[in-house]
Amino acid sequence: MTLLQSVFDALLGFALLWLAWQALASPDLFKGIVLFIAFGLLMALAWVRLDAPDIALAEAAIGAGLTGALLLAALARLDKSSWRGFGRTPVRPPEGNNRDVIHPSKRDTKSAHEKTRKPKPITENGKGQAAFCGLLVVSLSALAAGLGYAVLTLPSQAPGLSDSVAASLEASGVSNPVTAVLLNFRGYDTLLELGVLLLALFGVWSFGVVPERRESSPGPVLDRLSRLLIPWLILVAGYLLWVGAHAPGGAFQAGSVLAAAGVLWLLTGWRLDTRFSGWPLRIILVAGLGVFVVVAVVLILMGGRLLEYPPSFAAALILLIEAAATLSIGITLAALFLGSRPETGPQR
Amino acid sequence: MSDIHWPVIVILLPLAGGVACFLWPRRSVLLGLLTALGVVACVAGLGGQVVEQGAQRYAVGGWGAPLGIDLYADGLSLLMLTVTAVVGLGISVYSSGYFERARYGQDRARHFWPVWLFLWTALNALFLSADIFNLYVTLELLGLAAVALVALAGGADAVSGAMRYLLVSLLGSLFYLLGVALLYHSFGSVDIAILAQRVEPSPAVWAAMGLMIVGLLLKTALFPLHFWLPSVHASAPAPVSALLSALVVKASFYILLRLWLEVFPFANAALAQLLGLLGAAAVFWGGFQALRQTRLKMLIAYSTVAQLGYLFLAFPLASITGWTGALYMLLSHAAAKTAMFMAAGNILYFGGHDRIADLDRVVQRLPLTITAFALAGISIMGLPPSGGFIAKWLLLETAIRSAQWWWGGVLILGGLLSAAWVFKVVGYAFTRSEVPHEARAVPATMEWTALLMAVLAILLGLFAPWLLALLEIGSPFGRENAG
Repeated sequence: MTLLQSVFDALLGFALLWLAWQALASPDLFKGIVLFIAFGLLMALAWVRLDAPDIALAEAAIGAGLTGALLLAALARLDKSSWRGFGRTPVRPPEGNNRDVIHPSKRDTKSAHEKTRKPKPITENGKGQAAFCGLLVVSLSALAAGLGYAVLTLPSQAPGLSDSVAASLEASGVSNPVTAVLLNFRGYDTLLELGVLLLALFGVWSFGVVPERRESSPGPVLDRLSRLLIPWLILVAGYLLWVGAHAPGGAFQAGSVLAAAGVLWLLTGWRLDTRFSGWPLRIILVAGLGVFVVVAVVLILMGGRLLEYPPSFAAALILLIEAAATLSIGITLAALFLGSRPETGPQR
Repeated sequence: MSDIHWPVIVILLPLAGGVACFLWPRRSVLLGLLTALGVVACVAGLGGQVVEQGAQRYAVGGWGAPLGIDLYADGLSLLMLTVTAVVGLGISVYSSGYFERARYGQDRARHFWPVWLFLWTALNALFLSADIFNLYVTLELLGLAAVALVALAGGADAVSGAMRYLLVSLLGSLFYLLGVALLYHSFGSVDIAILAQRVEPSPAVWAAMGLMIVGLLLKTALFPLHFWLPSVHASAPAPVSALLSALVVKASFYILLRLWLEVFPFANAALAQLLGLLGAAAVFWGGFQALRQTRLKMLIAYSTVAQLGYLFLAFPLASITGWTGALYMLLSHAAAKTAMFMAAGNILYFGGHDRIADLDRVVQRLPLTITAFALAGISIMGLPPSGGFIAKWLLLETAIRSAQWWWGGVLILGGLLSAAWVFKVVGYAFTRSEVPHEARAVPATMEWTALLMAVLAILLGLFAPWLLALLEIGSPFGRENAG
């Protein structure tokens, strides 16, 4: 390792810590989210430095990109509801520009309002709080010291499973070890993880339909940009899906790029036609998990074990599962960005 | 019969059922009930297989342990699966009444079923997993499903309860995951059986043990990490409260028990004593707090805190009888607490409130419900012939035999505290209150399921020999020396 690399790594580490602290400490939520996105991008760099390009891709796409978008969407709703809650007239946000929806002063007045509403006995509470904070700092420092010591004593050469992964890679149907682990060796974990993602959507949808104020037409920049970007993003998603078999990429990364296209489209004010927001949408949402389960059941009926792919079909089956998963992940994440169940037409 | 992949079916069936309920929301009640019946049948099938052939190991994908994921079913897993199946069926039947006509309306019912079936999937997958990373994934599925169900009640209480639950649950999961990472880095495997062979004490292992135990205790809500439980369990809809108290908190206890027995057998006696002390503190604190409550659901939630404490008394006792006693406590508490939350749900449904002081002769109007409550109370107190009695008896016997009689004192005092609050509630059920309230008829299914679950809690005392024999399959506690 050259000196330059060491310096870069040290800078990266400090920047990560600093950004994380700033994101947590920022009283302004919007600033906190922006710092969080920056943190995610630097984290992706850190993964690259650790020779884990797959995780770097996922971190950049999901950790920084989509989580940031979700947080901003949540913040926009938080602001709207708090305006309503304090009897202010909702300020109509500038059209199509998500960034300006959030105005720091609004939140400041909110917190000030809360403070005045609930006057607390300062002496007692303040002391208790200080003691609690002190205790927290001491116990966290002890935890950090203990963990640091434990990590330092770890053997530098981990007896990991990379050798046995490499030995079985031939039979897995793909040549990218990460995809082999995710879709073949430990495919069962991934099956359950797809369930987790779907479950997150169930949870969000259970809050019911929140009628949404339609934005009027998007500004010319967003309009033009989205027209240019969306086809590209779809193409990139397809490429990531395909390339995942032998190089970094795969369903989760492709799905999040697809979701980015969806988010962009939603930002321009486009909404799914109510004809499609019932059954057709639901089918696409469950497709990833559904195909996975169907493949598993068919393989069992053919005499294999759960998710035991015959080596000759492994590549095709993995591609099939990943394609369905990409579609589902993309649409699910975009639906999460929308925040609530789309209004449906007359239900069947 | 023997070559049917029961462990897989037990996991995939509720998952498929959940997806089906999501796709056909109109038919979700029917689909949900059918799935519940199917899962019960499949658990019975798995049980037959395990009883016939002994503990089962199933290599997912055919790869086998260090590379792939193994499923493992022994007596302990089977017992947990059976409890889940029985309580799950009860909750499914109860919910079909509760969500159909309750104030929640149709819309809530549609959201309840997919999430509940996913939660069931998570529980079954968790009890069958032999892989600590896979256990993390199931914990994630379980936690998220539980949070979504808590939020289902709607309203500020439920949403803030759900949010608190989400944060606690995530924190616990992350602690656990960090421990998994440390273990994997040290020993190159995440399979419990392989780890059991390879693990030897080192700073990293101690750190992993500390992290995993704290994370799991947070999820199990052992005193003093119980702070989140009462409000969450009390604010959820009644069937959800029942399954949170009966099943969800037990899942993390199950993982803790597995790790304690297999991966960390060298954990020292001081730590076991500490867990026992925390358990005793939970018994007293939960009991006192339960006595002080004015709302029925809050009272029952605090009683869960106390009952969870009993489970940890087995750690300092550390013998097969002790573990069996704790497991029996888990079992009978699951049945009894389900019955109690269902009874509370009926009362809430009937009168629109759960203030204990205003129960207003509910005994005349909902006799079945109050019977259910009282029967469940008998098991919680630990009176014969209930399941709770057998559990306490086993624990007491171990305590005396290992010359640690003070744990026996905790058992008896805890039982007295439970008796105090049960009689308090039953007493108010007989008296006339000053606040008259308009009553609403409770569906018969809701009353009868509550009663059946309570009867089950009592009957568990009579089935003890059979269930205890089941628990010995694959001798999950075999590594410990009998006291």
